[in-house]
Amino acid sequence: YMNPPRNTHYQPHSVLVPANPYLLEKIPNWLTIYFQTSAELDHKLRWDMFKLTQLDCYNAMLTRLYKQELQNIVMRYESYRSALLVEMEKFQMHRQNTRAVTGHH
Amino acid sequence: SLTRQPEEVFDILCKLGEGSYGSVYKALHKESGQVLAIKQVPVDTDLQEIIKEISIMQQCDSPYVVKYYGSYFKNTDLWIVMEYCGAGSVSDIMRLRKKTLSEDEIATILCDTLKGLEYLHLRRKIHRDIKAGNILLNSEGHAKLADFGVAGQLTDTMAKRNTVIGTPFWMAPEVIQEIGYDCVADIWSLGITALEMAEGKPPYGEIHPMRAIFMIPTKPPPSFREPDIWSPEFIDFVSICLVKNPEERATASTLLQHVFIGNAKQPSILSQMISEAQQIRKNQNHRTIMLPNSGGIKPNIIEDSDEDVALGNQTMVQCVDEGTLVPGTLVSMSQSGTLVELESELGTMVINNVDDQTMKRHDTGSERPYFMRHFDKKEAEVKQENNTRLENTDDNNEDHRFQSHYHLQLNQAPPPQHVPAETNFQRPLSDGDFEYLKFLSYEELQQRMATLDAEMEREIDELRRRYQTKRQPILDAMDTKRKRQQNF
Ligand SMILES: Nc1ncnc2c1ncn2[C@@H]1O[C@H](COP(=O)(O)OP(=O)(O)OP(=O)(O)O)[C@@H](O)[C@H]1O
Ligand SMILES: [Mg+2]
Repeated sequence: YMNPPRNTHYQPHSVLVPANPYLLEKIPNWLTIYFQTSAELDHKLRWDMFKLTQLDCYNAMLTRLYKQELQNIVMRYESYRSALLVEMEKFQMHRQNTRAVTGHH
Repeated sequence: SLTRQPEEVFDILCKLGEGSYGSVYKALHKESGQVLAIKQVPVDTDLQEIIKEISIMQQCDSPYVVKYYGSYFKNTDLWIVMEYCGAGSVSDIMRLRKKTLSEDEIATILCDTLKGLEYLHLRRKIHRDIKAGNILLNSEGHAKLADFGVAGQLTDTMAKRNTVIGTPFWMAPEVIQEIGYDCVADIWSLGITALEMAEGKPPYGEIHPMRAIFMIPTKPPPSFREPDIWSPEFIDFVSICLVKNPEERATASTLLQHVFIGNAKQPSILSQMISEAQQIRKNQNHRTIMLPNSGGIKPNIIEDSDEDVALGNQTMVQCVDEGTLVPGTLVSMSQSGTLVELESELGTMVINNVDDQTMKRHDTGSERPYFMRHFDKKEAEVKQENNTRLENTDDNNEDHRFQSHYHLQLNQAPPPQHVPAETNFQRPLSDGDFEYLKFLSYEELQQRMATLDAEMEREIDELRRRYQTKRQPILDAMDTKRKRQQNF
């Protein structure tokens, strides 16, 4: 029932504001796991061992993971919403049909 | 100008309005007697960037762009001094008159707005926050672009801190997608603003901003809700602004040649509308003045009439407006007060009370018999009891509540839990499988629909908290490194 909307990317020739440089870069597995697990063991990660540019990259990737999950949530509710609508429509159809059959106005 | 304290230079007269980053006041320049607007923004970081941006803005000199005079620091606030536009923003005027604009009014405003955009775009500057709230009118009806640059700059610096996503409804698809953009991003926003002026709100304006953010890049461009009541010229104008591919979107200069703009009337046609709005503003102020201790009453008005100057801050009532989307706004939008109760109700619902009658109703499709209403009432009472009982029941009792032939279907929805709702709230949906919805009554479906946005918001809040917790150590490490670099 739900057609997942398609993303169409248009890349302009000249841009004043460049694309997010980390948009297509592969996110390392450990970072995904770090984002998804409880914060209990987070203190073991020595972020100060990384270079500034690396930190910048991980920060941007974390934001990407966040947005991805945001999208997952929204899309999950989107299909929940349409499933609810389908069921509610069925009730309305029934009501209409009953009225038609019994001749009530 | 940064050497003197701003309050030595200006008298603050009254509050004009409030946006997402701070408040705007009407002020008097003591030396010249000139009336100005001052935006006060709390800032904590990246002042250098903001100062640079303001100095760029100060170089802009167009009758179609709000003039920036300078800035001051007062404690932790940045004061941005700008030209005063007596009629306020286009969205203020719509809100005050409770009226959308006519085609003629829209064409006149768009004509000035396009000239402002052309001015900026020829200088390769993107406004980035075009919407009716940022188009100001002076008392003669000339439209001027406000918040250029600062808005973008502030959004950027705030985004680094707390993930501001921007005002989604006006955002061009390429901006949302972060694939790079240029000046025509403003043209998309202008098309949305045209719809906003015609219909009172932007497309998707009534739905949750987070849904809108994902719809804008994926759905076809929005258009008029009622195309029949608008001229083909206006519809065409909007459709060439709202082209998803920025490469194919019109520029400000070409749009100035469009028939719809060519037929635009003089700004004087707006004077009726402006004085009406001014009148409403005055009346509202009088009402507030007559009720000096109206603590609980918060009229949705903006204080700006010259009679009020003497009263100063005393009667000031701020205008709460749906501003740019910041995390704070989202949090306050949730009705979490009722959320918890409804959630636990969803958890225990149906289970106890579903009976054969309800079942038959689904099977035969007959109307719910009148006598069932008695049970409906009972059901509501029982549900209430269940809610209060919930804390005391142990897991064995729990099983009894599942004693119905719905067990299987309902299991697909997560079972109720006793963990305090604060820390563990019931997910209303299991991934993708909505079979169990078939067994709910119409009222139950309606109720789920009604709480859907609030539940989604709650999940989003939870996610955002996790994101912030996980990101903080990275930000801290970056801060430390930067400081160390500066020291060497
Ligand atoms: N230069 C000005 N002259 C007169 N009124 C102004 C001026 N600038 C702002 N205002 C008033 O103050 C209100 C708040 O402006 P502000 O820019 O802070 O918020 P906004 O435009 O509603 O939202 P955002 O924060 O997203 O820009 C405006 O709606 C307008 O009524
Ligand atoms: Mg503004």
